[in-house]
Amino acid sequence: MRPELIPLLVVALLLLSAGGAEVDRAEILLDGDHAADDAERAVIVGDATLTVPANATVSGPIYIIAGETRIRGTVDGDVVQLAGNLTVDEGAAIDDELRLIGGERTVAPGASIAERTSFEPVSRDASPLATVVTFAVQSLLVGAVAFGFGRRKPTLLRNVGDSITDHTLVSATIGLLASVTALALFVFMAFTLILLPVSLLGLLGGLFVVSYGYVVYGYLLGRHLPFERPGLASAAGTVLFLGLLRALSWLPIVGTWVGLALSVVGVGATLITYFGLSEFEPVQLPK
Amino acid sequence: MKLLEYAVRREWPPVVGAALFVSLLAAGYYYNLTFVQLGLFDLGVNRVGMTHTAVSLGMALLALLAFCSAVATGVALDRTGWSRDLLVKLRLVLGVVLTQLVLTAAAPFVAAPAHFFAWIVVCALSLGVGMPTTLSLTIDFVPVRDRGYVAAAVAGLSFFVAAIYPLEWSVEEFSLVMVAAMVPGSVAIGVLASGRVGLVETLAEQHEEFGVGRFCRPDPVRTRSLPFWTLVALLFGVFFIDSLGFLRLVETPTYIFTSWQSPDLRVRLFIACAHVVGAAMAGVLYTNFERQWLFLWVLGLFSFTHLLYTFDTRVAGAGEPPLLLPFFYVLAVSFYTTLNFALWPDLSTPETIGTHSAIGLGMAGFLATFLSTGVALYFRALEVSLSDHLSIVNALALLLFVGLAVLLYVRRMIVLARAETT
Repeated sequence: MRPELIPLLVVALLLLSAGGAEVDRAEILLDGDHAADDAERAVIVGDATLTVPANATVSGPIYIIAGETRIRGTVDGDVVQLAGNLTVDEGAAIDDELRLIGGERTVAPGASIAERTSFEPVSRDASPLATVVTFAVQSLLVGAVAFGFGRRKPTLLRNVGDSITDHTLVSATIGLLASVTALALFVFMAFTLILLPVSLLGLLGGLFVVSYGYVVYGYLLGRHLPFERPGLASAAGTVLFLGLLRALSWLPIVGTWVGLALSVVGVGATLITYFGLSEFEPVQLPK
Repeated sequence: MKLLEYAVRREWPPVVGAALFVSLLAAGYYYNLTFVQLGLFDLGVNRVGMTHTAVSLGMALLALLAFCSAVATGVALDRTGWSRDLLVKLRLVLGVVLTQLVLTAAAPFVAAPAHFFAWIVVCALSLGVGMPTTLSLTIDFVPVRDRGYVAAAVAGLSFFVAAIYPLEWSVEEFSLVMVAAMVPGSVAIGVLASGRVGLVETLAEQHEEFGVGRFCRPDPVRTRSLPFWTLVALLFGVFFIDSLGFLRLVETPTYIFTSWQSPDLRVRLFIACAHVVGAAMAGVLYTNFERQWLFLWVLGLFSFTHLLYTFDTRVAGAGEPPLLLPFFYVLAVSFYTTLNFALWPDLSTPETIGTHSAIGLGMAGFLATFLSTGVALYFRALEVSLSDHLSIVNALALLLFVGLAVLLYVRRMIVLARAETT
């Protein structure tokens, strides 16, 4: 499963439990092609293809977080689309609510939908101006944090930065191990329902650590910029780093991997230095 | 990395020695993973017609005999001073390889239970002599600073190849391929063991520099000391947990499709690569952190892995389990295997390498396997369900994980309290 699907999976589980469905009976489709059966359980569609066959009636609810969902028959419950692709064919029916939060969809005019609601926070066809504004807001927020740290606690950033540059392999190893384990752990926690809030908190914590790593990259870049004040240099460096990350995302495959590698190293360096509270020193071999 | 420094300075004997060590140990471990673990079941059940339980008992016997043989060999190596003599060790390894060559060639002809048990006895004795002798070559071939990386190379290489070949088990075909590979290998070891190669003389002196392990500085770890036996107990626990869980998972059809024995090459390639990544990570961690962190990771990963499997048995539908499950399992196995290859030499000096390697490998590897096989058979007799079996394994893993964390915390408290009183 792709790491970026994990927050969506957690949200889907949260919505599922809020709707009163039995989460422990939910079926999660992570790959392959599947035809929906008449078993009474919720289905979460990940990187898979789900088809509700014509003339078939399934109980639902269906949560779509990725992949392809094609409804030809009847869904006797909610269909919630968080991401992915949804096609509702001519003659198909959704007897309950179709909730649209994100993703792409095609709904045939002859499809019968009892109720349709839309909560899409961002328009799917965002204009270039909206993209620039979103980036500016992100940069302003992270840049302000970088400014604060660079001005008041530069030692923290320096310690993490030193680990990124001097102990890249160790940082990458710890970052990868911690990221993979933590992501799996949070998904697992979400399934227990009781720990769902902890899982969400954990994901937020993870996001914070990744952002902290970005600020440190900004600090490292800022050292090479013509700013004398460390706070300003860190802020400018962070905005530059975020811009570079955005530019990297335009490169297919390589860009994604490089961005992911940078994040992983940043996470590892942050963890092994306790957020920069101490320098990382590898074990020395006694004489 | 010391080996890189040697390579840059064009000092080739240490580099060649390390490469030789990786080849020897990886080949030996690959043989153990494939022929001994996979082959014995095929040999006993499919060819000789023995029951599953009888073959399991045979494997337990192998583990027990190998343990006894390993300890006897290790103690003898140290008492006679052979553990400091590279030529003697190479000759012993040659003897083991030749014995296993004969065993491998004879395997397709095993047709009766008596032959099967005789094959097991000889195999156990040769394994018992081979493992501590090969591991004691660490002091001659591997710089102390690089032991984590070299151990990772051994673990990664052997698991990678074992996950990919053989795809379908056939004792005749595998025996033929192994014999073809072992003959040139035996000739090469024979040449090195002849005493007429200058390189061996150079390598034989390296134990003066490489001999004292990382944890024996400045004071050597004694065999009858608490730290040594604590580590033996911890690794015993790790092997026991792995073996007890594996013995049941490998019998469960749903999990076979996402395991080592999957018929899908892509799954096996994924597992092979995960082994390499896991071993490399363990190498980095072993080199840069204190050993307790690696133990904590191993036990934590095992706990988490079995938690995932237990969860999967309770909630999963009829489909294949996600590859995330074997991924974490493989990660944990690669971690502790790397730790196992690096730890015992690092707890030893040239005077204790034989005994410590034998006790470490023997108790943690062979004896734990023997006992876990016994427990698994007992569970089968009691008709313990898969879910309950995995829950027990998981409980053991969690117990060891929490126990270790508490132990480390208490030890730190004692150190602080002592500092306070002085």
